[in-house]
Amino acid sequence: MENIIEFKNVNKWFGKLHVLKDINLQIPKGEILVICGPSGSGKSTLIRCINRLEDIQKGEIIVNKIPVHDKSASLTRLRADIGFVFQQFHLYPHMTVLQNIMLAPVQVKKMDKAKAETIAMEKLDRVGLAEKSGAYPAQLSGGQQQRVAIARGLAMSPEIMLFDEPTSALDPEMIGEVLDVMVNLVSEGMTMCVVTHEMGFAKKVAHRVLFMDEGKIIETGTPSDFFDHPKTDRAASFISMILTH
Amino acid sequence: MMAFYFSRLVEIFPFFLKGLWMTSKVAFISLVTCTLLGFILGIFRSGKNKIVKRVIGFYVAFVRGTPFVVQVFIIFFILPEWGMQLKAFPAALLAMGIMGSAFICEIVAGGISSISKGQWEAAAASGLNLVQQLRWVILPQAMKVILPPLVGQYVLLIKDTSVVSVIGVMELTRVGWVTVVRIPEGLMVFSLVGALYFVISYPLILLSNYLEQKMAV
Ligand SMILES: Nc1ncnc2c1ncn2[C@@H]1O[C@H](COP(=O)(O)OP(=O)(O)O)[C@@H](O)[C@H]1O
Ligand SMILES: [Mg+2]
Repeated sequence: MENIIEFKNVNKWFGKLHVLKDINLQIPKGEILVICGPSGSGKSTLIRCINRLEDIQKGEIIVNKIPVHDKSASLTRLRADIGFVFQQFHLYPHMTVLQNIMLAPVQVKKMDKAKAETIAMEKLDRVGLAEKSGAYPAQLSGGQQQRVAIARGLAMSPEIMLFDEPTSALDPEMIGEVLDVMVNLVSEGMTMCVVTHEMGFAKKVAHRVLFMDEGKIIETGTPSDFFDHPKTDRAASFISMILTH
Repeated sequence: MMAFYFSRLVEIFPFFLKGLWMTSKVAFISLVTCTLLGFILGIFRSGKNKIVKRVIGFYVAFVRGTPFVVQVFIIFFILPEWGMQLKAFPAALLAMGIMGSAFICEIVAGGISSISKGQWEAAAASGLNLVQQLRWVILPQAMKVILPPLVGQYVLLIKDTSVVSVIGVMELTRVGWVTVVRIPEGLMVFSLVGALYFVISYPLILLSNYLEQKMAV
């Protein structure tokens, strides 16, 4: 299968801090990839490099045939095909739910408003919040806000969806509704990279789990291999830590 | 005697209205210019280019660190030295524009920096370019922070137009000076001048208070 995302010897520094060390990674089209690892290991940085929310200093990243490391790459074209869901939602507080979702299609794709609204309502329905289209983010619960953020990410009908710990900022009782929405997306055939420690989600839908520590990919494997038979001590101690949490 | 002067004052009241008109003209043109320029500068000041930020920072510091009356004189006297003949009115507008835009720049930059990095990132991640990010996501939110002090700044700028009387612009304050030579009732004359300034600035003060209350919730 063709790789939709490819990292070749990627290195990234924040000042003197070396946060990504020689990352090599191929993600085939349609793969559901779960990324886990201790806090500070570089997971967020890794997926933020995919849509160039972060620049890299060495190596190559190819996404959808676009050389992302190339300073002259068109960010608009790159990002139009990638949905990104943040840990803290980052909905636009001054816009209604519907306006949040319609903004990019109307401004970036120059879609006419009526069509954008139809699509937005479709995506909102997809996350089960059609009745909240006129609400403002502040009127929604955390779980609802994150579902709207997912709908916003889907609005451009992207080939790739990136999730950076989408349930970590939620109260425990709201995690399930967000994970359910994400599970539902799997059948659409999008490529998904999900930074999460939700083992249940990983086991249910992930094709592959990637474990990071200190800026390196330490091991990869199928969810059952990784969680039940980790190859490295570091992975084993990490898994036992999330199990006792 | 008082009554006599008062009737003289009433007689030359149209002269005051002319001054008021000139003050309004200087104020209006410079508020519009200062706002446009201040927003552009403020946006660049909160941007990523370090050199641009430094240059604007120095410009703002210079304006804040020197008396406005001195700035007015510099512009009025230095430009002819450089071969540019500037009349009092355009010189006044230029001085107001330079001074006001520096203060508005700081207000705008402060408002923009109050918006979290996550808002920029969410907008960028969805494919919006920088101008679109500002136009649709950042500025509408920043306006809540910008508006109350901006209107407050407008009041200050209107009052500062009185300074340009020193280079001979026949606005309200200058009208006061000229009048007091002929009608030596300083208190009466300048009370009238003050009252006329207040007529313009009071609505803005009320607006500023209202906005402050409204934005606070
Ligand atoms: N903008 C930044 N500036 C400086 N250091 C950063 C920045 N973002 C992250 N880091 C550092 O880079 C390392 C990796 O961070 P991150 O990718 O967020 O890890 P994770 O998502 O796995 O917790 C951490 O040590 C973090 O402190
Ligand atoms: Mg992280």
